[in-house]
Amino acid sequence: MNRVLTLAAYNVRILLSERTWFILAWALFGLQIAVYGSLMSKLVSTTVPNYLFFYGVGLMVITVFDSGADVGRHFVEHAHEGELPYFLSLPVSRGGFLAAQAIYGVANTMIKVLPPLIGVLWFVGDLTIQGAVFALISMFLLGLGITGIMVSMSFIAFKSVDIYSAFLAGLSALIVRFSTVFYPLIFMPSFYSPISVFSPLTYGADLTRWVLGFDPNFLLNPILAAAVVTGVAVGTLSLSARIVDKVIEGVKAA
Amino acid sequence: MFAVETLNLSKRYGKTDALRGLNFTVNEGEIMVILGPNGSGKTTLLMILCTILKPSSGTAKVVGIDVVEEGTKVREVMGIAFQEARGFWRHKPSSILKFHASMFDIDPAKRQDLIERTMKDLELWESRDKMFMHLSGGQAKRLETAKVLIQQPKLAIFDEPTSQVDLRGKRKIWDKIRELRDQGSTVIVATNEVREAEYLADRVTILHQGQRVVCDTIPKLKDAIAGGDIVEVDFEDPVSGKLVKDLNGLGGDVSLSSEGNQLRAKVSRAEDWVPKMTSASYVAGAKIASIRITEPSLDDVFLHFTGKALAGQP
Ligand SMILES: Nc1ncnc2c1ncn2[C@@H]1O[C@H](COP(=O)(O)OP(=O)(O)OP(=O)(O)O)[C@@H](O)[C@H]1O
Ligand SMILES: [Mg+2]
Repeated sequence: MNRVLTLAAYNVRILLSERTWFILAWALFGLQIAVYGSLMSKLVSTTVPNYLFFYGVGLMVITVFDSGADVGRHFVEHAHEGELPYFLSLPVSRGGFLAAQAIYGVANTMIKVLPPLIGVLWFVGDLTIQGAVFALISMFLLGLGITGIMVSMSFIAFKSVDIYSAFLAGLSALIVRFSTVFYPLIFMPSFYSPISVFSPLTYGADLTRWVLGFDPNFLLNPILAAAVVTGVAVGTLSLSARIVDKVIEGVKAA
Repeated sequence: MFAVETLNLSKRYGKTDALRGLNFTVNEGEIMVILGPNGSGKTTLLMILCTILKPSSGTAKVVGIDVVEEGTKVREVMGIAFQEARGFWRHKPSSILKFHASMFDIDPAKRQDLIERTMKDLELWESRDKMFMHLSGGQAKRLETAKVLIQQPKLAIFDEPTSQVDLRGKRKIWDKIRELRDQGSTVIVATNEVREAEYLADRVTILHQGQRVVCDTIPKLKDAIAGGDIVEVDFEDPVSGKLVKDLNGLGGDVSLSSEGNQLRAKVSRAEDWVPKMTSASYVAGAKIASIRITEPSLDDVFLHFTGKALAGQP
């Protein structure tokens, strides 16, 4: 356990040395909310009251998604810069190794998402500790699920990094567009609302909105959402534990 | 119990058979050198022992622990210095070693001291403030070796520890590896350099195309080649035909040739043959001016057992 933490701390330290990225991410978030968010909110104010809030949560969920994808990329980079064999030779179980990656992913996500979350809640005038904590938990679970998916996909990178990048770009476009991050499910045309059911972001976004007290009429059933988000986290993490073991075979012995 | 034992170990990468039914053992407390040319499967074997790769078939055990069944336990007792120094681009050598020491529970009170001493021993101290990615090839290899030296594992594995390292550095590394053995570690060194093998090995395993060709101490390997030692004897007078005949009569596996005052003999064991030769010469009244014994090198041994020269040798 101690070693898993040491390993995670190593990753997090590298993360913290990249401060500029965080500041950039926060600034971008602010810009999106201030320009696009508030304009859209005015446009749709008659159909969705408080769209700015809806959009703000959606943007946070996308941030969670991006930082989950970061962990996948980080993992693939490890493999290609040759650090992976070193990490795999350390006295940590494969599960522990993954846990360290996940802790890194969570730290990455929290740093990116916490200031925007507080900002949005404060701006909307709805900032309570309770709300913030539950929203974080919900996004944390979603983040674990995304990390799990990304690490599970990393085996593709051992065939070709190009295919992996292309695949990820395609996957993110689909997962983001066909989810409820930007628009409520009830407004989706019937020909693609069924697809949104397959995007984990749908459940993560609606669950987070629900815990923050958004009008439930615009959202999925929160129990279903919570169940799916938890299920995806557990399922993909155990899948990636299996895959890590297999994937390594692809690493060049040199 | 063996420190390492593999049974019928095989590894396939797609269509390449990197290891083919390898049976290999290492005794506790010895330095085992695996000598083999490029592509003979050395790294593959070591990667299986340190649980990074999985065997396609067969088994491998480290201090009695199966590498597939109980990988984490195996990793606790061993350390490996990779053939290619590994990663940590933006870190300094001392923090890389600190991280390694903390992963292997090296006493925090002694850590700093140990790291400093090892870095000085391997002449890395001057580069302590450089980032890993700015180290030279040889410096990075020294750092890779330093990790395992600091760790002092039960089983220490070095994959070509001195490739890219200058001659002075090679000596230092070799001496440190021997010191590690003297302090109780079992050591495996993979190399394709005969000199490294000669300097380090308690025993040598020759690996060729994923199979063990032979395994023994260096003197025994050399003795196993018929006509193993070469003895050159200078006499004060020209060598007579009678003397050659007398010496041929001594028996053993000998082939003689003479030219002027000099006699050349290929014998399997110079230690046995030279005393007999000197007394026979004395009896025959031939005065010896000097004797030179040259051993065959491991190159010759390799050539003898595989029919091929080691990589990089003519
Ligand atoms: N990931 C891989 N995929 C396919 N083939 C591989 C892979 N790794 C190694 N090989 C092949 O397996 C064989 C053994 O390779 P290995 O690296 O074990 O040799 P080695 O004895 O360490 O060589 P060297 O002295 O060059 O380090 C080689 O033919 C090599 O091409
Ligand atoms: Mg090798």
